[in-house]
Amino acid sequence: MDVALDLLRLLIFPAGLTLLLLGLIYEWVDRKLLAQFQNRVGPRWFQPLADVVKLLAKEEVLPHGVNRWLFIGLPVIGLAGPLTAALYIPMAGLQPSDSFTGDLIVAVYLLSLLTLTMGLAGSNAIGRFSIIGATRTLTQLFSYEAPFLLALLGPALVAGSWQISEIIGSAGGRWLLLTQPVGFVVALIGLMGKLELPPFDAPEAETEIVAGALTEYSGRGLALFRIGRNVAMVVGLTLIAALYMGGIANPLAFVAKTLGLLLIVAALQAVLARLRIDQTVGLWWRYGALLVLLQWAVIIVARGGVS
Amino acid sequence: MKFGSMFSDVLPSLFSSPMTELYPFERREPPARLRALLHWDPEQCTGCGLCVMDCPAQALEILTLDRKAKRFVVTFHLDRCTFCSQCTYSCRQGSLSLSNEGWEVAALSREPLTFVWGEAEDVRRVLAGELPAEGTPPQAT
Amino acid sequence: MVTREPLETFSVPIGPQHPALKEPGHFLISVDGEIVTDAVVRLGYAHRGIEKAAEGRNWVQNLYLVERICGICSHIHAMAYSLAVERLAGVEVPPRAQTIRVLVAELERIHSHLLWLGVAAHEAGFDTLFMYSWRDRETIMDALEGFTGNRVNYSANLLGGVKCDVGAEQRTAILKALDYLEPRTHHYMDVVTSDAMYLQRTRGIGVMTRSQAELMGAVGPTARASGVPRDVRVEAPYAAYGSYPLSMVLDNRGDLEARFVVRLNELFECYRLVREILDTLPPGELQAKMPRRVPEGETISRVEAPRGELFYFIKSNGTDKPERLKVRTPTVFNLMSVVKLVIGHQLADVPMILAGIDPCFSCNDRAILVQPSRGSASLWTWEQLRRHGIEVYHGRRP
Repeated sequence: MDVALDLLRLLIFPAGLTLLLLGLIYEWVDRKLLAQFQNRVGPRWFQPLADVVKLLAKEEVLPHGVNRWLFIGLPVIGLAGPLTAALYIPMAGLQPSDSFTGDLIVAVYLLSLLTLTMGLAGSNAIGRFSIIGATRTLTQLFSYEAPFLLALLGPALVAGSWQISEIIGSAGGRWLLLTQPVGFVVALIGLMGKLELPPFDAPEAETEIVAGALTEYSGRGLALFRIGRNVAMVVGLTLIAALYMGGIANPLAFVAKTLGLLLIVAALQAVLARLRIDQTVGLWWRYGALLVLLQWAVIIVARGGVS
Repeated sequence: MKFGSMFSDVLPSLFSSPMTELYPFERREPPARLRALLHWDPEQCTGCGLCVMDCPAQALEILTLDRKAKRFVVTFHLDRCTFCSQCTYSCRQGSLSLSNEGWEVAALSREPLTFVWGEAEDVRRVLAGELPAEGTPPQAT
Repeated sequence: MVTREPLETFSVPIGPQHPALKEPGHFLISVDGEIVTDAVVRLGYAHRGIEKAAEGRNWVQNLYLVERICGICSHIHAMAYSLAVERLAGVEVPPRAQTIRVLVAELERIHSHLLWLGVAAHEAGFDTLFMYSWRDRETIMDALEGFTGNRVNYSANLLGGVKCDVGAEQRTAILKALDYLEPRTHHYMDVVTSDAMYLQRTRGIGVMTRSQAELMGAVGPTARASGVPRDVRVEAPYAAYGSYPLSMVLDNRGDLEARFVVRLNELFECYRLVREILDTLPPGELQAKMPRRVPEGETISRVEAPRGELFYFIKSNGTDKPERLKVRTPTVFNLMSVVKLVIGHQLADVPMILAGIDPCFSCNDRAILVQPSRGSASLWTWEQLRRHGIEVYHGRRP
């Protein structure tokens, strides 16, 4: 019975199928909001689903000279990462399925597993665009990862624990984005960097390197990477909402808070131009890291001040 | 130096409807001067053939059956026409004009896009292939 | 003695199929990491044999053939052609027709610069600016459609004059479009010169000094952004530009931002010119009588297309078909500057520098014969050209 319940939780709800569906819905909301900001119509509600179905139906072309198992296996691992990360966060407003000390770090690591596999997949293929895209993906990974992680650890520091459910519990419904605004901003923009959304889409700059690391992918592999990206978006938004916006008590709050964050993310996408990869690295290592360290300094001083 | 300078455009767009016209559900009226389907007035035509000579896409052909009686058959290939309206200016009699309708020229085969104008019997003979589409046949019936 | 191994060069092909290019062209960029070390350009993908085709069509048909050399600058090609043929035939075009030609040319310049603004923003990854500038461009397209009868390929020219007259209705429509566009252009100027993230992509990138521009023969707004004061409308006024003088828009910084500023300032100059024309249009006829056979002779015609100086050479042998038509478009020279400028920049700057010259590949696929060492000009026969092509390209991978 327990095993059946676990399987249900893993495969259908809240992880698994529901998460995949949520990923598609959130991708649609993101594209529709971006279109609305640009004064145009945008895709219809079934567009992401249609994209996935079409890609799965297409032939997967294996480029010449790649390692076959890596080529086929990396998208699967890339999708598995965010799906597993979803087990530790309060998906859809329910309690996290699994919870243990340090699961915040594990969740963030699993999210970056997606970026790592994309970088590896790009290096695997021997096309020039893939290699440049892979280099840029990994360079960007090294630039935003540290500030992003530190920003997410800000609430952890306040709560004195590295377990997501405990952090939410100790916040007690308080909105930490009010007391740690800088951390919130860095976390949100770091999420945009992780998902390679504009202005941080240099790794997949369409006008320079076609599709970056995923240039040689088609069919099933591309579909899995795209679904992985969507799931990572949902998971990332839930994580930030849970940590900074006072936890997620019920499905309605889940929808409201994550969509609110998505609105801000879409607005930032519309309003900012793409940065070059060296400018991205410079931005994160100068301003990102500085801001988050400043935030940490404030937190430590505040905590030291209070008992 | 500021960030997000397009914000003043982007924010109001969130609350307004898109600029896109959802054709074919929303159709705009074509402007009066739009160059679309050609019309031929047989009363004015003298069969000089300047329009045929000057068409850059060779979309017009004229068959002269009886010059004095003004019996012509004009074949117009809409699929070749570029809507430049040079023919309307080459014609000194003003027998050609481009209306602003008939601009939706999608078809599944070439037949609907070939227009043959003239007296009914002559048109039938041209379409059946008994008469050529252009030239001056020696016998005038 | 130590010999150094040459660095492994990694070549990235931009084109002929590439999302950065709207038309096919091939740039082979050699990179070292992200820095560009060499660039080679290869053209010819949009070659359609227009100059040869023109020899088989009569003068009237050719008017529409040359109009379709380029979709964005179609009217200016037709205007250059008509000016040359009218000069050969000795026909004097009435002033109202010349002024209307200038009016359509300036409206075309407005639409072309707005199009370019969107495309350049798209190359930088700033899709929002792309969408909004193209949305605003629709106003001028609608005005042109109401005035000439088509949005692209206006076909407003006739040999000897123009087809369409400016009535009160068209005048109101055009003025309304300009009233909408002028504040929007101010807004775009503001965005382009003060948006921090956009300036990071344009300020100080692709700097071309004035001497470099003059050496490489750059023309148009690309050259004017480097301080080279070349504008055919000012230096050698054609059509009605003598009665409507305009000031050259110059900038001496020579980087990408300067090119943006120059083109946007040219837009303001266009608006002023169109308003002045609409207020002071001379009365008169629209067309002069044109003979079907053009007398023998050869002539040239230079006009200012939105991208730079457009040059036509027409030779007639007295019949109703031209003997030789030669077109030299501005993008040909500006492209050479791209090849030199990208060296030393990052790979991400290459599409931006390419977009900065406003490339129009359809315009520029003509056959050019350059003989650097010999002083005399010579012509190649068809056989010689074919043999040369086989020798040069045989065995070389595209």
